[in-house]
Amino acid sequence: MKYGPLVFLAAFLALSASWCGFVLTPQIQLGRAVQETNSVVTSEMYPQDRPGSARQGLEIYRAEGCAYCHSQQVEQKGTLVDVFLTDAGKNSMAVAAALTEQHLGTFSGPGLAAGLPKPVLRNASLDTAKALANLLKKAGANSQLRLVPFGPDIERGWGVRRTVAEDFIADSHVMPGSQRVGPDLANVGMRLPDVNWQLMHLFAPRSVTKDSPMPSYPFLFERKKIGKQPSPDALQQLPKEFAPAEGYEIVPRPEAKALAAYLVSLRADVPLYEAPATPPPAATNAPAVTNAPAK
Amino acid sequence: MNSSTNQPATSAPLSDSAAKDTTVPIWLIVVLFLLVYWGAVYFDEHGGWFDAQVYTPYVSAEQVKDFQVSGGETPFERGRKVYASTCFVCHGPNGLGAPGTFPPLAGSDWVNEPQPGRMIRIVLQGFSGPGLKVNGQPFNTGSAMVPWASVLSDDDIAAVITYVRGNAEWGNKASPVTPEQVHAIRQKVASHPLSFTPTEIEGISPAE
Repeated sequence: MKYGPLVFLAAFLALSASWCGFVLTPQIQLGRAVQETNSVVTSEMYPQDRPGSARQGLEIYRAEGCAYCHSQQVEQKGTLVDVFLTDAGKNSMAVAAALTEQHLGTFSGPGLAAGLPKPVLRNASLDTAKALANLLKKAGANSQLRLVPFGPDIERGWGVRRTVAEDFIADSHVMPGSQRVGPDLANVGMRLPDVNWQLMHLFAPRSVTKDSPMPSYPFLFERKKIGKQPSPDALQQLPKEFAPAEGYEIVPRPEAKALAAYLVSLRADVPLYEAPATPPPAATNAPAVTNAPAK
Repeated sequence: MNSSTNQPATSAPLSDSAAKDTTVPIWLIVVLFLLVYWGAVYFDEHGGWFDAQVYTPYVSAEQVKDFQVSGGETPFERGRKVYASTCFVCHGPNGLGAPGTFPPLAGSDWVNEPQPGRMIRIVLQGFSGPGLKVNGQPFNTGSAMVPWASVLSDDDIAAVITYVRGNAEWGNKASPVTPEQVHAIRQKVASHPLSFTPTEIEGISPAE
C-alpha cells in the first residue's frame, strides 16, 4: 500500500462530498423549517397537526410497510395560466376589440358581459397571461389569473399540485416512499374520504378494487359473533364472497381505525407559497382536468 | 505498455515510469471542461440556488414570487379569509369577542390607534397578562392570545389587520397595513421570546 494515505484521502473526500450533498445541505435547507406560509386562499389552516388517531395511524403505516408500495409525492411538470374575465367594465366594446386584436377569437362587445367569469385565454405562460391581464385592465376590464399545475400525476387525479417539504411538517416520521406498485397517496384523503371504504380496502382490497395486487391485512380486524346488536364499527356493505359467515361480523381493531384515520387525513390539495395553484372555484368543476396537456 | 502487463512482479515501477512520460490527452481535458460547463448550466437551471422554497418546475425564488397571483382579491378580502380561519375562534364572527375573556375588536381603542405598531406586535407575538383594559373594560381572566408569527405570513398578517382596522361594519376606520410594515416589526420582535404584556406594550410607541 504505497499510496495508502492517498487512497484513504480519496475515499474520504468522495464519501464526505456525498454526505455534504445528501445529508448536510438538505439539513441546512430544511432541517429547521417552520411553517412559513399558510394558505388562506381556501380559508383554512394548512398544514395542520394530524388528529391523535391519525398520528398513531402513521406509525401503523410505517410498521406495515405501506411506503414500500405507495408514494406520497405528487410530481408536477409545469404550471399553466388561464385568464378569466371577471368584469367587462364600462366599455365592453373596447375590451372585445382588445381581445380580438390578440387573436383570441371573435368577441362581441355586448355578449362579453354575459356569463362572467369566463375564460378568455387558456394554457398560457405566466408572462403572456400577465400581459393580457394588463391589456384588459387598460381597456377597463378586470380579469383573474388562475394557475393550473400539470403533469402525469395531476392528470391521474392524485393531487392538484406538486408535493413540497412543508406538506410533511406536521409529521414526525415522513413517509414519502419511492415505489409506486400502488397509487400515490399524497391526496388520498380527498380522493377517497370514506372511512368504511378505507377499512374494507384494508381488510380485503379486492372487495372494492377488483384487480388490486395489494395484500390484505385481516390481522388488523377481528371476526366476532354478533351479540345482541351488531357493532357500530363493523364493516358495512362487505361483498358476499368476503363477508363472514351468518351471525358474524368483521370489526376493525384500533390499529385499523388509526390507519384509516391517517389515510383520510392525507391531503395535498391546498396551495402553498412554494407550490402555487388556484383551487377550482366552487361553481365549475376542477379546471385541472380540462387543462391536462393532450398526450 | 502491452508487454509490461505480463510481468506481475516488476510491472508497477515500470508502468509508473511509463506513466510519467505520457501527457494527459487533450481530448480528455476538453471533455472535462465540457462536463464542468454542463454541470454549471444544469445547476443554474435546476438548482434554485438551494432555496428551500424553490422546487421544480420553478427555477428561482423570483419565479416563485411571480407566480403568487392573488386571484384579484384585495387585501381586505384576503383578510376576511384569514380572520375566518384564525381569529374568529376567540374574537367572534363579528369581532365582538366575549365579555371579560376575549377583548372585542369592533370599536376597540387598541384597534383604532392611528399607527398599527402595537397591533402588529400583538398578532405576531401574542398577548397575555393582567391589567388589560379595552375601552375601559378590564380583561383579567388570564386567557392569552397565541402568537401567529410562525403560522401567518407577512402578507396574511397585513391583510387581516387591514381587514380588522378598516372594517366599517364593525365601526372601525383605521388605516390599512402593508406587508412591509409587518416585515419590519417581525425583524424587531424576533428576539422577543414571550408574548407581550399590557404594560410592556404600552411602553412601545405605536409608531415604532
